[in-house]
Amino acid sequence: MNVFGMTVPAGFELATSIAIIIVKIAVIVAVTMLHVLYATYFERKVIGHMQVRLGPMRVGYHGILQPFADGIKLFFKEDVVPAEADKTVFKIAPIIPVFATLSAVAVIPFFDGFVIANINVGLLYLFAMSSLAAYGVIMAGWASNSKYSFLGGLRSSAQVISYEVPMGLSLVGVMLLSGSLNLTEIVKAQQQYWFGMYLIPQFLGYFVFMVSAFAETNRTPFDLPEAESELVAGYFVEYSGMRFAFYYAAEYIGMIVMSCVAVICFWGGWTLPPVLVDAVPALAAVPGIVWFLAKVYFHVFLYYWVRATVPRYRYDQLMSLGWKVLLPLALANIVVTSVVKFFAGS
Amino acid sequence: MNIPFPNLMPVAPEIIITVAASILLIFDLALRNKGPLAFLSLLAAGVTVYAIIQPASLGETFGGMFISDSYSVYFKLIFMVNLILTVLISLKYLQRQKAEYGEYYSLLLFATAGMMLMASAKDLIVLYLGLELMALSTYILAGIKRHDIKSNEAAMKYFLLGSFSSALLLYGISLLYGLTTTTDLYQIAAYLKQTGSSMPLLMSMTLIAVAFSFKIAAAPFHMWAPDVYEGAPTSVTAFMSVGPKAAGFAVIGRVFLMSAFQGMQADWTPILIGIAILTMAVGNIVALSQTNIKRMLAYSSIAHAGYALLGIIAGTEEGLHAMMTYLLIYAFMNIGAFAIVILLDKGDEIKDYEGLSKSRPLVAALMLVFMFSLTGIPPTAGFIGKFNIFMAAIKAGYTWLVVIAVIFSAISAYYYLRVVMNMYMKEMKQEAAIAPSPSLGLAILITVLMVFIIGIMPSVVIG
Amino acid sequence: MSPITPGNYLPSEYLPIMILMIIAGAFGAGALIVGALFRIRRSYREKLMPYESGNPPIGEPRYRFSVKFYIIAMLFVVFDVEAVFLYPWALVYDKIGLYALIEMMLFITVLVVGYIYAWKKEAFKWD
Repeated sequence: MNVFGMTVPAGFELATSIAIIIVKIAVIVAVTMLHVLYATYFERKVIGHMQVRLGPMRVGYHGILQPFADGIKLFFKEDVVPAEADKTVFKIAPIIPVFATLSAVAVIPFFDGFVIANINVGLLYLFAMSSLAAYGVIMAGWASNSKYSFLGGLRSSAQVISYEVPMGLSLVGVMLLSGSLNLTEIVKAQQQYWFGMYLIPQFLGYFVFMVSAFAETNRTPFDLPEAESELVAGYFVEYSGMRFAFYYAAEYIGMIVMSCVAVICFWGGWTLPPVLVDAVPALAAVPGIVWFLAKVYFHVFLYYWVRATVPRYRYDQLMSLGWKVLLPLALANIVVTSVVKFFAGS
Repeated sequence: MNIPFPNLMPVAPEIIITVAASILLIFDLALRNKGPLAFLSLLAAGVTVYAIIQPASLGETFGGMFISDSYSVYFKLIFMVNLILTVLISLKYLQRQKAEYGEYYSLLLFATAGMMLMASAKDLIVLYLGLELMALSTYILAGIKRHDIKSNEAAMKYFLLGSFSSALLLYGISLLYGLTTTTDLYQIAAYLKQTGSSMPLLMSMTLIAVAFSFKIAAAPFHMWAPDVYEGAPTSVTAFMSVGPKAAGFAVIGRVFLMSAFQGMQADWTPILIGIAILTMAVGNIVALSQTNIKRMLAYSSIAHAGYALLGIIAGTEEGLHAMMTYLLIYAFMNIGAFAIVILLDKGDEIKDYEGLSKSRPLVAALMLVFMFSLTGIPPTAGFIGKFNIFMAAIKAGYTWLVVIAVIFSAISAYYYLRVVMNMYMKEMKQEAAIAPSPSLGLAILITVLMVFIIGIMPSVVIG
Repeated sequence: MSPITPGNYLPSEYLPIMILMIIAGAFGAGALIVGALFRIRRSYREKLMPYESGNPPIGEPRYRFSVKFYIIAMLFVVFDVEAVFLYPWALVYDKIGLYALIEMMLFITVLVVGYIYAWKKEAFKWD
């Protein structure tokens, strides 16, 4: 075994490969957390400018250090546990969403070959982890012993499970076309088209996926579980300090993960359309991570854009959108895709 | 790899029933009057009977997971008898009970489809699928009187204990799969012939036996039956006391005698003998003290499960046939008895029958026939059923067990004939009101005719 | 490589996931534990009361809620299980061909019957 030109002594292969994995994970987790920090800054700036404000300006140049200031503040803040809360559940609950969303990062290929675990059921694993996050919300809502939390937790669980169905179905089209659940292979399969992405044949799937992703991450216009104007903060109204920060972080990690999935499954991941690369060969020299991040940040921007533009849905509208519009659309997408694929293939 | 299209002929009856159930479900949304749904389900049952008796329908399909043989055909005919009679007796009854939901008929069809799958299962997965389809539908049927607290209680109890037994079954199946690496019943049998029994295998067999005992309401797993039979609408009780029980016997016969545990007869016979004796004892002795006729019939149905088990215990071809015949006869006489209970406006308590022969001599006479048949008095069908099963057990060398069964059968005469005594020897307290309808009349006519025809010419069903 | 059987399969490609999960869990728990050393702790009765817009809380916080939530939960189970059936089908669709198409169309038809039923019974309606 050979690492960075040095030969690993016999008997240490396993230890070395584990060490490499740990370093890789540490890098990815650190970079992800940094992105999360700056996603908050980015959001405040974008929305500020959309509303003709400046956003944070005080800490550092144009407020560039603001996220760190926030982080340090939250770290030292008092951790209030309400007297009548179910203390164990209350304390464990915030760890779950962070744990789940961070674990989901494991299967995301950032560029060719750079993925923590290249497993064959990557997409399934992502679904599993994204639905795990709902437990944190339900537990928080129940354990807080407050009416607002309880209602927020209920609403959120109903919302999350309602939108998980169309989300799961919207990606079946992608699976049909690529014949794989492995995210790297899904990206590579998209190169068969001259436009290099599933966005065009799967526009319906993409639409359903994006709407569901907004709902899954509790973002506007589906932020009813938090609805600050009626439920004050929903399920995490009783949380403060670091535990509060965890819910916040989980929401942003979730957003980034969902954007990554959208990019991988519908936008060709780190690749460019073959037709573009053929026209400008120089583009092939640019590392794939650049395109990947550009596409991800476009999606993250989309989240902010929607937040600044669209008003919140009413709860009955939210439910009927999920069950009466997105679900039939996703099913229709599956039927159309499979029929078209069958006749195009034979 | 190109998977060939499976032969759909063997599954045609199941397909017809399932499609009909789905169509009924959709029709129900548009219809205000639920009467046509009953006729549609009768029509579907008729078409299914036609599909079942086609010789072309015999065979295996779906890669050997599904088998249609003379065994399954016979059971499917029992299920169809059960379905048709139940639809006939429930038509007016549901209106009277203000429980006329369209889902009722499609649930009956779905439950029947589940039973048919069970009878035809050649694979443990298909077996479980059929079992759950049947069980989930009957849970809802038991609670179909939504605003009646007893009906709700029945559904809840049935659901809890039913899912408990499903869990046991799944555990047994998973152990068996772990031991043999296959879920195909006949491959399991072949595998077990080579290896012989082991501790985990005995455990798996016991779990499966217990789960099926739940379904056929054999003691000591019968606790749910009286409450559920009492609380459920009477028509559903009639359906439940025959259908799921027959389906349970179908899989017991298939799994224990014909396939998987075929080679382990020495291991399971003692277990089943214990269950059978206990079942006959509990069913017959507790039935003595009942005052509600539905409860009494519930205990009687427990007792009958005990008699039918003798056919399995005999372990011979003849025993199996006797068990099948017994179940068919039981379907006619038991549904007939429930039809009379439905016919009476107020007939749930045994004391409601006092002096019935004075006010309604015909109804009393019909009830008399069914009670005689349930007791097993010639020339009714019940006698033939018991006679066959006892003969088969004696031939297999279980004379002592038959003696016990006959003793319990004699005890059973007491509570069946108490109804007769109430009808004929007690003074009439008040005129008994009845609620006749053409379909109910037809059901009673069919059942009473069959009870006599089989009783006088047993060759109709034995052959 | 020997064929995968229950005896000899070692899911080594999942090892990084396990390590990441441990790290993610440790990150969550660690940040809280380390934070506990530095945080101030100054609580009093009012601060520990459930938030109810500044008023003393009234009644039970965990009250009975709409039965609709249960219905949604059951529908979720139905449709999610259905999605689980669709995944393997989608993956081997190329290899099976017409049979797969027809079977899945039948499956979706049955599902749509249930969907129409649920819709007409107003399972998706909130008010």
